[in-house]
Amino acid sequence: MTLAQALFMGLLQGATELFPVSSLGHAVVIPSLLHWTFKQSDPSFVPFLTLLHLGTAGALLFIYRSQWVAIIRGFFTAAFRGRIESQPERLAMLLLVGTIPAGILGVFLEHQFKVLFATPRVAAAFLVVNGGLMLGFEHLRRRTEQRAALQGQTRVEQEERFGEAEHITFRAAALVGACQALALVPGISRSGVTIGGGLMAGLRHQEAARFSFLLATPIIAAAGLIEVPQLFTGGVPIAEYMAGAVLAAVAAYLSARFLLRYFRSGRLDPYGFYCIAAGVAAFALLTFGA
Amino acid sequence: MRGNTLAAGLVGLAVVFLIVAVLYAFGVLQIMVSDPSSHHHYTHAVLFAGLAVASLVAANFARQKKTT
Repeated sequence: MTLAQALFMGLLQGATELFPVSSLGHAVVIPSLLHWTFKQSDPSFVPFLTLLHLGTAGALLFIYRSQWVAIIRGFFTAAFRGRIESQPERLAMLLLVGTIPAGILGVFLEHQFKVLFATPRVAAAFLVVNGGLMLGFEHLRRRTEQRAALQGQTRVEQEERFGEAEHITFRAAALVGACQALALVPGISRSGVTIGGGLMAGLRHQEAARFSFLLATPIIAAAGLIEVPQLFTGGVPIAEYMAGAVLAAVAAYLSARFLLRYFRSGRLDPYGFYCIAAGVAAFALLTFGA
Repeated sequence: MRGNTLAAGLVGLAVVFLIVAVLYAFGVLQIMVSDPSSHHHYTHAVLFAGLAVASLVAANFARQKKTT
């Protein structure tokens, strides 16, 4: 992998990891469209992905640094006390409950899913499915807004009628967490399905995005840290990989900032339409030759 | 009483998870691993260690508290 490719992949991973457009889908489809020769099944590619994930997790930890301090403190306090008494303690336990199904399904199914689905054409097809899911989540949200007679209000006023992440039920947190496992299929966005799950649980868009990002951090960081020893195997171009990781961190930071601002009043629709268009275009190009 | 029984069950579950984590870490268990030739399955070990911690936390939540 050249430095330019590493930088491009870092930018792609950092940006698409948090946007609801599937980083894995883009990572599978785009190199294939560009006729890049490096193979993602190659063992030397794993350390690169590891660093990119650590970069993304680092950016998320930086953005939510004060919240994470409160969450970690809240986790230990509530765990030893055996009772939840504050919002950070509740959020810590919600994140624990949400992480468990994703962790179990991720560890046991990741390899099988990669073997079955990690081909560019399948990823392109699932990008279309992801787009449909985003539009479906928004359709259901609009129906909820209609039932609550919120049509005449501005988007910000509509959003204020929905809840904050700390107030969802533990069952909803587990369901949102389980949704993350869908993202093992290249083309299905982890942040997209968890934001959608959050919307179904009655969260505001911005809060659904915050919960999605907080839920992603332990999984992304753990997946990265476990693979760290592979970085020290021979033949790993560490300088190129590090440059890619730094760019992934910068892209993830900017993406998260943008999305949190966007979701104050924005919806998932544009990302849904983008995924359908990108998926159809990529599928056509891969099938009929570019 | 029911809370304490549940708590005891969860502690038992935590012990089972911990044993499974150790077995995966030392490569004794090879169930549903992506690379059976690998000697250590740290991802699986970390998962089961995490589940053991979660079970202990749940046990502490489930046990009956002394009312003051």
